[in-house]
Amino acid sequence: MTWWHRLLHRRQHEEQLEKELRHHLDLHTSELIAQGYSPEEARRRANLALGGPEQVKEMCRDARGTRWLEELLQDLRIGARTLRKNPGFTLVVAATLALGIGANTAIFGLVDALLLRPLPIAEAPNELVLLVRGDGRGSALSYPDFKDLRERNEVLSDLALFNQAPISFGNNVRSEVVLGGMVSGNYFDVLGIKPALGRTFLPEEDRTPGTHPVVVLNHSFWQSRFNSDRTLVGQTIVLNNRRFTVIGITPAGFDGESPPMKVSLWIPVMMTSTMRWEPGEARQDPLSNRQNENFGAIGRLKHGVSIVQAQAAIETINRQLEEANPLPPERRLNPDDDRSLRLLHPRGIMMGPIREMAATSSRLAGATVLTVLLIACANVANLLMARAATRRKEVAVRLALGATRGRLIRQLLTESVLLALAGATAGLFLAYWINQLLMAFKPPFPPPFTFALDLSFDTRTFAFTFLLAVATGVIFGLAPALQASRPDVLPALKDESNAEGPRVRRLNWRSALVITQVALSLALLISTGLFLRTMRYAQQVDLGFKPDQVLQVSFNLRLQGYNEAQGREFYQRIGERLERLPGVQTASVTNLLPLGFIWLSTPVVPEDREVAPNDRVFAGNVSVGSQYFETIGTPLLRGRSFTAQDTSKSPQVAIVTEKLARRLWPEIKDPGEALGKRVRVGRADSISCEVIGVAKDSRNNIFNRIDMDPEPTIYRPFAQNYSALASLIIRTDGDPRGLISAVRREVAALDENLPPQNLQPLSETVSLASWSARTGAAVLGVFGLLGLLLAAIGIYGVMSYSVSRRTREIGLRMALGAETRDVIKLIVKQGMGLTLIGAVIGVLLAVAVTRLLASLLYGVTATDPATFAGVVLFVISVAVVACYLPARRATKVDPMRALRCE
Amino acid sequence: MKPKSDLPQGTLDLLILKVVALGPIHGYAVAQRLEQVSRGVVQVPQGSLYPALHRLENRGLLKADWKLTETGREAKFYRVTRKGQTQLETEAAGWQRLTQAVSLILKMSEGGAG
Repeated sequence: MTWWHRLLHRRQHEEQLEKELRHHLDLHTSELIAQGYSPEEARRRANLALGGPEQVKEMCRDARGTRWLEELLQDLRIGARTLRKNPGFTLVVAATLALGIGANTAIFGLVDALLLRPLPIAEAPNELVLLVRGDGRGSALSYPDFKDLRERNEVLSDLALFNQAPISFGNNVRSEVVLGGMVSGNYFDVLGIKPALGRTFLPEEDRTPGTHPVVVLNHSFWQSRFNSDRTLVGQTIVLNNRRFTVIGITPAGFDGESPPMKVSLWIPVMMTSTMRWEPGEARQDPLSNRQNENFGAIGRLKHGVSIVQAQAAIETINRQLEEANPLPPERRLNPDDDRSLRLLHPRGIMMGPIREMAATSSRLAGATVLTVLLIACANVANLLMARAATRRKEVAVRLALGATRGRLIRQLLTESVLLALAGATAGLFLAYWINQLLMAFKPPFPPPFTFALDLSFDTRTFAFTFLLAVATGVIFGLAPALQASRPDVLPALKDESNAEGPRVRRLNWRSALVITQVALSLALLISTGLFLRTMRYAQQVDLGFKPDQVLQVSFNLRLQGYNEAQGREFYQRIGERLERLPGVQTASVTNLLPLGFIWLSTPVVPEDREVAPNDRVFAGNVSVGSQYFETIGTPLLRGRSFTAQDTSKSPQVAIVTEKLARRLWPEIKDPGEALGKRVRVGRADSISCEVIGVAKDSRNNIFNRIDMDPEPTIYRPFAQNYSALASLIIRTDGDPRGLISAVRREVAALDENLPPQNLQPLSETVSLASWSARTGAAVLGVFGLLGLLLAAIGIYGVMSYSVSRRTREIGLRMALGAETRDVIKLIVKQGMGLTLIGAVIGVLLAVAVTRLLASLLYGVTATDPATFAGVVLFVISVAVVACYLPARRATKVDPMRALRCE
Repeated sequence: MKPKSDLPQGTLDLLILKVVALGPIHGYAVAQRLEQVSRGVVQVPQGSLYPALHRLENRGLLKADWKLTETGREAKFYRVTRKGQTQLETEAAGWQRLTQAVSLILKMSEGGAG
């Protein structure tokens, strides 16, 4: 019999125990009667000999070993009854805790999805390992490396290769660019993915380059694009303008090995060379080049091999490979580069830089919600202490009746854990709602980089919430329980409710809680303030171009198999067609979008002087159409713009930004002096062009970073600097969104299998640049205000309690002639003392904390005095209100009644 | 009142096991048997008899069934499990070794004094 079994049959056991003891007493009694005692005397003696049935029963229960559980049940019953009897109190506390716990559950769900969750694979996901080179920021392997590692290692049951790239999916008017996976033939076998339909790759489909155009589709892609058509397997679809046979569909829920990126389809890596990701001349076989380290690898540990053993074995092979094939020095950016290979279990996001970002944000968000929970705990502890004062008599009675202090503390803690669990239940609903809200803040990456993050609750979320609730219950319940169970029985029973000693100490506890709350919410709000300032900066900063009313659309003609002549013609004709659309002012082609994710730079050398190779200036290499500057809204400061006469046959010309002009020719006073000078651009300084104009600096910077100063930039005519990857920008009369479908039609009219990419207002790209600041401000702002609200309630509660305790004193003062003002001053002063101490601690805390935020802030320092001062003032004014209300109530006290009461 | 002798710590369990090992028996009979066999020297405080029985049952050394007595009443009869039997044997052997050692020591000290 196990303890829970015994517990379940508790009633039966009690009955049997009763029966057993009665049997004993009866037998003993009859024996005593036989010895000549009267029945009453016999019964008395038998009872005496046994030692009191109740005590014996207690001891037997102890012996049974389920006592703690029985007591727990009893505590739970008492707790539930107490809470039911005070519905108002229970509701307030549970709601407060729901806020605190719900926020933590929501963030845990996020952290789980970002950092902790294993891949959604049924077959032993703990055996899967990713190969990571060095710090894990780049890709890991070349194809020859992969082949060697796969053949030579004896620690992995198998190793698979993967890589991702955009693929243009031709689908008539609904052509689009999707994220495709190029994988080795054993990829699905290593992961243990069985197709929902059809099959996965055969060994011969992964043996010879370019011979097997087959594709496996993601289940959700198949659902949404092909309406779950079961006859699709065996048919062909168009990828990068080439026909591929669909051989299988993955099971639902699998999006590839690199969440949160969602891979829509998989092709054998042997098809890579025919997919045209590289420009024609550079299109060498990526499968034979050991320097082409563009692949990732995922393997499965052999049974009984630990990840540490496997890593050592893999690293040994890696070192042999490195020695046999040393990287040529020019490929080695830094001789100290960490070239070792490490093995990691895939958990959450594994892409190095994004994982780091996710980890930073998670720490920040985690600290924030934990702070909110602490503030909530302080509040609840406060309430419980106030209530403990009213329960002193109950406690005293139980102590007097022989309850031990430990037992009493346990019972009070059970009650607070019950409260926390009630709060946690409500918190789960809140967390669900918060997560819906958080998903609205997901980074709006342009397709094909779909950001798929599953924030639904799993058992881990529930387990986390449960444990957090229990811990919370103990944390906020411990101090009040210790306080309440202090065995000062006599004064409590005698109703000396205002006995001096305990009261003063209780107030000190409560004061400490208020100080903590003020400090924590102040630190939160200061962080919020800094993010708000960053956001404002992002909105107000002079970008150097005007993104409003501009629509953008990008193309990758290389994927589509266009040669340069076809490409030039396409950009020419789509530009003309778009300019003719109603509502369009101007349109222009450009190879780079401002604040986009692609950036090209080139060395620029002035021809009128010698420049050492190391001192060459690097500038953004932008090629644009003749109407570019009007369309993007960047003013030309000097000289002329490009015209239709600047063709591939005419003399090479360039427009430089003011910053570039001053870098190249530091002596010039006016940027106009740069006109007519000549510069050389290109890898080998091969192209010589004349500067015909100077443009205003523009924050068309790298990688969507709005916080960096404008890069020096050189603009050249698109006709003289062709790019197969280019965009059109279109300045419209009104809302650029209105033109999206018209643009789609114009593109399809020229090539129905060519997918327009990034088809969205330019302002969205710009807003992506301030995404982290906006998200930070929103998340911290919500929680910061929540924290302040809780802190204000806390101050209010403490002051109210203090006022109610001092009713007699206040009455006396007023009877002796104190003015209303004096009384208010007295009370407010007491509250403000606590607030100010809390504020000082909070500022110190904020200085320590905001330094950690510095990497996420721009346009404002981490110790911005204005933000600090503003927030401190705000918090103090809230505290003043929270003190004033109870103070005013105190002055309404009727002196006579105050003196008579108690 | 009969002369009482305090039981050394831990011996109650051993005695109960021994008594129960002789055949299924209910609580009151255990007390009586102990008293009779020890000729009144060992008097088990009845208050600690039942907790001890329950403890042994809880440890799996005893098992209990409800049966009818000769007088037709239902009573809880204890019997020794296999585990209890083993436990009884090791403990009895240990006890014997201990008492022999103790009596040896006692004799020796007599000899030393004489």
